[in-house]
Amino acid sequence: MTEKKFVRVNDVELAYVDEGEGDAVILLHGFPDSSYLWRHQIPALVEGGFRVIAPDLRGFGDSGKPQEAEAYGMQTIVNDVVALTMKLGVKRPHLVGHDWGAAIAWMYAFLMPRRIDHLAVLSVGHPGVFANPSLEQRAASWYMLFYQFPGVSEELLRRNGWRLFKEIMGRDGDYDRYLRDLARPGALTAGLNWYRANRSPAAELRPARPFPPVLAPTLGIWGAGDKALLEEGMAASGKFVKGPWRYERVEDAGHWLPLDAPDEVNKLLLGFLGTERPAHEERRPRRRL
Amino acid sequence: MTRRPEQPDVVIVGGGISGASAACRLAAGGLSVVLLEKQDAYRDLVRGEWLAPWGIREAQRLGVYDCFSAGGGWEIREWMTWDEAVTEDEVEAVDMTRFIPGIGGPLSFPHHSVCELMAEQAVASGARLVMDAAKIGVTAGPRPVVTYRTPEGAHELRPRIVLGATGRGNTVGRQIGVTMRNSMHHWGGGMMVEGLDSWPADVQAMGTEGDVMFMVFPQGYGRARLYLNFPTVNKHRYRGPGGVERFLAAFELDCLPDRGKAVTEAVPAGPLSVWPSVSSVPEGPPVVEGVVLIGDEAGNADTVLGTGLSCAMRDSRTVCDILLASGDWSPGAFTPYVEERNLRLERLDFGASIISRLHVEFGPAAVERRRRVRRLMAKNFAAQVTGLLNMVAPEDVPEFGFSEFFAERLFRETA
Repeated sequence: MTEKKFVRVNDVELAYVDEGEGDAVILLHGFPDSSYLWRHQIPALVEGGFRVIAPDLRGFGDSGKPQEAEAYGMQTIVNDVVALTMKLGVKRPHLVGHDWGAAIAWMYAFLMPRRIDHLAVLSVGHPGVFANPSLEQRAASWYMLFYQFPGVSEELLRRNGWRLFKEIMGRDGDYDRYLRDLARPGALTAGLNWYRANRSPAAELRPARPFPPVLAPTLGIWGAGDKALLEEGMAASGKFVKGPWRYERVEDAGHWLPLDAPDEVNKLLLGFLGTERPAHEERRPRRRL
Repeated sequence: MTRRPEQPDVVIVGGGISGASAACRLAAGGLSVVLLEKQDAYRDLVRGEWLAPWGIREAQRLGVYDCFSAGGGWEIREWMTWDEAVTEDEVEAVDMTRFIPGIGGPLSFPHHSVCELMAEQAVASGARLVMDAAKIGVTAGPRPVVTYRTPEGAHELRPRIVLGATGRGNTVGRQIGVTMRNSMHHWGGGMMVEGLDSWPADVQAMGTEGDVMFMVFPQGYGRARLYLNFPTVNKHRYRGPGGVERFLAAFELDCLPDRGKAVTEAVPAGPLSVWPSVSSVPEGPPVVEGVVLIGDEAGNADTVLGTGLSCAMRDSRTVCDILLASGDWSPGAFTPYVEERNLRLERLDFGASIISRLHVEFGPAAVERRRRVRRLMAKNFAAQVTGLLNMVAPEDVPEFGFSEFFAERLFRETA
């Protein structure tokens, strides 16, 4: 993979990969990944004629790691992505997100319908579904509560050779690489701050506003072996999408779809990005005669 | 044009566990450090891969604890002895997680990837890392000289002090006149395996049967480091074609559950290496003007004890503390290190010789001896004192465990 570049946006230094030429695709990773998650997708999309931009989102990889939880609100991170695209001169990218990156991509899509072309979300459904989780989903999300205790969660995850963290991760994703990133100064707290800022019980109490509809053509992909995010989250997301909605279930994959089923994911993305039209064409300025 | 040689504060010769950890600590402490490593890239050299709880505490003090975990460290929680001298109903798990408060069981880890991460961390803290450094020459003195070659050419460094950390090779020690009294009790070999999925990941095992003493140290995810200790007469058995197969087949033992099937069916995941298990006690202090030896290079006990890396951590931490505490780096400043290390090595060497006699001698008389000692230990808990040496620092082990009287009592033929 080529060298990462760095840019300062929104009070944080972001590292990113920028490869290829063509319509831009932004790839957004989740916890505890980095742009490295997309190593199988980047060459395929570049080959398919896209310009691929994959940032390390704040708190991860080589990007800046503010230590206060307030720095990790979803809206702040959506602003990071907007600022990054503006800096790179990208007006209307395709957005592809996995895990937390999918949550960011959803939010970006309904807040900025004119700044997105196609939306592809992996593993994580629309935040509207996650706002009212089933008890089963709450049980599967137990770790999100566990990550809430500043200092305490870190210590419990780190002790005994990061044993608990290793048990939570199992052999999923890049399990044998994550610690190399998370052991860097401040990285664990930064990663957990994503949950602290957005998944605390207090955050659930905040009055919910109705979500604007997603107008972009949207592809949701979910792996049948996902133990953390249940199918209900993705399958029920369609009702928040006004544009064309397509749901794909991949049988032989778990939560880390880009790693578990790289060929399938590449095929789905290449077949979807740029192929459909949004629900509402943007209004063109009326030509005066 | 000749350039003036670089004059860093410290040159560390050897990027292993002790050298790389010292580089991390000293660079983080603000000293200029050059770390020389002879390999061009870190790879599996089949070294020790077990860090005792007291060694983990030292790693935390050095600020390199996360290198162990991120490099693949796995906490082992229980210790089983499966041995021909132990009947099935006598086998019990020893809980290893409660010897030092706040620290769990020992860590088992891939040596080379931990070294690599430590070297990376040292560089991130400002140290200069030189890989592929060959023909390293060290001349002691108030302003020591270090020369070495890389593919780019010959180099010279004039540091304030040199840390010799080349392990059992004694590359630095030999050049500064620190001689070793060596003794060899048996041979050993080791190999990394994977696919050990039916082996409980929390359990390390040791035992003796026939003419092998085996060790299994899981590293999580179905991986484990295997070691064998065996009599010198068998030193060729695991070499040459089929050596790997014979090594794995040696774990087919009656004392192991399922006759060791979990191990014998494992898949090699690294080179097999065999070596004479030598213990080396320095004949003088491992310190001269301008040079301090740390880790195995400063002297080591028989590997059978498994405390070599914990010692390396202790050496590194003690010497770094001295270097960071004041500008006095004269040999006298290291007296506390030398004295503590002498006592430590004396105790570890004593303990290792007991373990070797007990577990790495073979034949009917040796089996009978192990049975007798086990009976003694069951009757009098204090007789298990040597076992403590694996878990807590040597100075915390009761003194009676290091007396000739104790050894004599342990091995006395009549109960």
